Amino acid sequence: MMQRDDKTFGVSPLQTLGHATARIDAAERVTGRAKYTADIQLPGMLFARVLRSPHPHARIRSIDLSKARALPGVRAILTHDNCTVIWGAGSVAGGQQYSDDIKKITKQQRRAFNNPVRFVGEPVAAVAAINRHVAEEALTLIAVDYEVLPFVLEQEDALKPEAPKIWPEGNIALNNRNEPLPITQRRGSVATGLQQSAQVFEQRFSTSFVHNAQMEPRAAVAHWEGDKLTIYTPTGGIANCRHDMARDLGIAEDKVRVICHYMGGNFGNKNQNQDADLITALLAQEAKAPVKLELSRREDFIGMHGRWPTVHYYKVGVDAQQQLTAIQLRGYSGMGPYRKNSGAMAGVELYKCPNIEAVVTPVHTNKTVSANFRGPEYPQGFFGIQSMMDDVAAKLKVDPVEFAIKNMTRLSRDEVPYTVYSLEECIRRGAAAFDWKARWRSVPGSDPGPIKKGAGFTYMVFRSGLGQSSAVVRVDAQGQYTLFVGVTDVGGGAKTTMGLIAAEALGVPLSQVNVVWGDTDTCPFSVGESGSRTTIMTGQAVVEAVRDLKGQIAAKGLPPAGQVLTASATPRPTIEGRVRGAFGAHFVEVEVDTALGRVQVTKYVAVHDSGRLMNPLTAQGQIQGAAIQGIGMALHEQLLYDARSGKPLTPGYYFDRIPTHRDAPPIEVSFIETDDGLGPYGAKAIGESGIILGPGAVANAVFNAIGTRMKDLPITRDKILGALA
Amino acid sequence: MTRSEHELSRRAFLEGTTVAVVAATTLNVDLGAQSPPTVAIAVESQVPRTTIRLTVNGVAERVEVEDRWTLVELLRDRLGLTGTKIGCDRGECGACTVLVDDKPAYACSQLAVWMDGREVTTVEGLARNGVLTPLQQAFIDHDAPQCGFCTSGQLMTATAFLKNTPKPTAADVRSALAGNLCRCASYNHYVDAVLAAAGTGPVRGTGGAQ
Ligand code: FES
Ligand code: FES
Repeated sequence: MMQRDDKTFGVSPLQTLGHATARIDAAERVTGRAKYTADIQLPGMLFARVLRSPHPHARIRSIDLSKARALPGVRAILTHDNCTVIWGAGSVAGGQQYSDDIKKITKQQRRAFNNPVRFVGEPVAAVAAINRHVAEEALTLIAVDYEVLPFVLEQEDALKPEAPKIWPEGNIALNNRNEPLPITQRRGSVATGLQQSAQVFEQRFSTSFVHNAQMEPRAAVAHWEGDKLTIYTPTGGIANCRHDMARDLGIAEDKVRVICHYMGGNFGNKNQNQDADLITALLAQEAKAPVKLELSRREDFIGMHGRWPTVHYYKVGVDAQQQLTAIQLRGYSGMGPYRKNSGAMAGVELYKCPNIEAVVTPVHTNKTVSANFRGPEYPQGFFGIQSMMDDVAAKLKVDPVEFAIKNMTRLSRDEVPYTVYSLEECIRRGAAAFDWKARWRSVPGSDPGPIKKGAGFTYMVFRSGLGQSSAVVRVDAQGQYTLFVGVTDVGGGAKTTMGLIAAEALGVPLSQVNVVWGDTDTCPFSVGESGSRTTIMTGQAVVEAVRDLKGQIAAKGLPPAGQVLTASATPRPTIEGRVRGAFGAHFVEVEVDTALGRVQVTKYVAVHDSGRLMNPLTAQGQIQGAAIQGIGMALHEQLLYDARSGKPLTPGYYFDRIPTHRDAPPIEVSFIETDDGLGPYGAKAIGESGIILGPGAVANAVFNAIGTRMKDLPITRDKILGALA
Repeated sequence: MTRSEHELSRRAFLEGTTVAVVAATTLNVDLGAQSPPTVAIAVESQVPRTTIRLTVNGVAERVEVEDRWTLVELLRDRLGLTGTKIGCDRGECGACTVLVDDKPAYACSQLAVWMDGREVTTVEGLARNGVLTPLQQAFIDHDAPQCGFCTSGQLMTATAFLKNTPKPTAADVRSALAGNLCRCASYNHYVDAVLAAAGTGPVRGTGGAQ
């Protein structure tokens, strides 16, 4: 069902890249030979468990460890009393990448163990014992005396003057200058724009906390040999994880080795180092033995992080020609008590509009921390703005696709040209494949029966910037190549992709390239599996390392027996005056059972330009999987909290309701391929782009089906029935 | 609150001896978080153990298991068969699916002692002499595993399913695999792969069978 078009933008085919290729490690994955972190057993290894706060906000008066320490088999216990190590990446001023400079600035620091505790699930103590049953039992013997403090869960409530203060500075998360200021974008004057408009529309939307919920619960295995730490951990970025561990532990970077050969999903949940890594390393140091920590599914839900919940207030003005004159957004993002990411909301940059103002305030609450989840600020922001624009189009009684084509910008942020632009083509192509005119109801909710159909659409641009990364490639006397790349495979197939790029650049079959990955002691720096940038950045390094190696081979021939030729590259490509964007448009048809409130996705068309496809089979899977995650966010998923106790009610798969096989419709993917001559053979971002559009497209389709706008995600049955009552 | 208050001991949970408490736990009601712990201190040598005989991947095993062990603990920790994964440890995800007497079962939700006299097949037992089953090969050809963490569970359920339903439709496959979650949501490719192995679907990697 996948369609590819490499003609429209004249992309010439290549030898190895661009053909459906099975992954180089696929056999390991289907035979159970692939070793994930929790599968690693070391001699003399201890097992760890973490005791977590049952209170959303409490001061710890005292912790009595005497009974737990007396339990036979307990080897180490850490609490805030005996461990004051700061987990830098866990709370970062401004919510950007953790670094040495940011470490110095950050005032609202987060330790491995904090007092007060600020959310249900925050670590209070960690135990290492001879097996997991003893470790679990030891937790029950730890007596904690809490002074329970007032708490606040919702971001708008947290800004009220009477709200409990989670930090002395108040509840607005601090920026990278430690100022409690919102994230602001401005162009022109919204006040003037609204005055000049013929009509003004206003609406409030909200999204919920949804969890990454990757199938592999967080695990870590730590092992000290003298002063050198080896940590096995599922991380989307072994190099980042190593920097962060060394910085937190106050040791040199070469004293930390991070290994991640297989990992069970990421979706932004495993970037940098996590407190589980730090706690495991500290327990291993204390116990003087290797330690394995495995989080339960519930701990993974409440102790890690998810997508930040958002509240959006929009004001949109249009003139008599139905062209946008002003867009205003006031947004509030719930960050939990620590700022682990920005809390931004994307979307307003999609429009051609002279007057834009977006003011988004990241707010501390006593919920689980919010941070990266596939396209961190996108699905929420795009759900908001594209529901808003769909609403404007509906009120103007125009086709939302025509309204979009009229009002979207063809420039990045309406200012800078793209290296190659295909978004309008994506939209037109998608509308045709989906048969938009036939499926979209010009009168929303006009189907007669209790089962009503409707169609919705959304479109996007996602960053595809260039950047620094490294690769090393070597050849032996037999002409066998080995590629060293510091990537991990979060599920997107990075090591196969790197092998394919090397094989293409070398002009040899993939089978002649060994790929070495996932180990900081054997691999050079790689940028990390976040921001959909590994293919672009590390891929470019592979191309340049190969170019160097080929030059050496041309000059000297293959090395003599027993020797090798090696080349490395660390390109720092830049681009000026133009921007690289990945584009996409999604079209969704839903069927709403108005008697039951049930929504089913009956058709889903996704059209993307992610540049040249490295491996179309994997590319298709990335878009399909992400689109289905988007459907989950639209219809089911939510970490609900009990307002009275501040406790999460739905941690775990059963209540969170991530999509199952039965919720997953066939996602019809088509790609428009382009090659802007940048990145490896023109590759652009793909991994995150597929999740961005589902929530808005599904919500717009529900509106088109029932004629009532659903403004709060997820669109569960009760909300539909309530709206129709 | 401690883990054991929120997450009952597996034995108690699996045996369903504490129904009222189970109900409370699923709602996350706090069970006396402030009261002092009363759990008896277990001395490891006194942990009840039982010797069982079972067949694992065609090999007869006689093992002494702790009565509190689940099947997945026996497989992963004791027998070193780590291809069976733990995604939730409480019967919600299917990552731990194995075959018990040819029927799919969540290994996290079976006690090891219950396996006495049973035949267990794990993902490691599918390929014979290094030759992959058609289903395993179809999983590779269709790029079904993304991260691969749910893969052994999907394979085990689908293996049992195809035995009983040799010519399934896509809807049949989705129903049969509904208990195997995949957060990478590689569902379209999994369905394609199962249909291809059955000879009722696309031959290779076209994606999204209707
Ligand atoms: S681990 Fe057994 S069902 Fe999830
Ligand atoms: S492939 Fe990652 S969970 Fe299924």
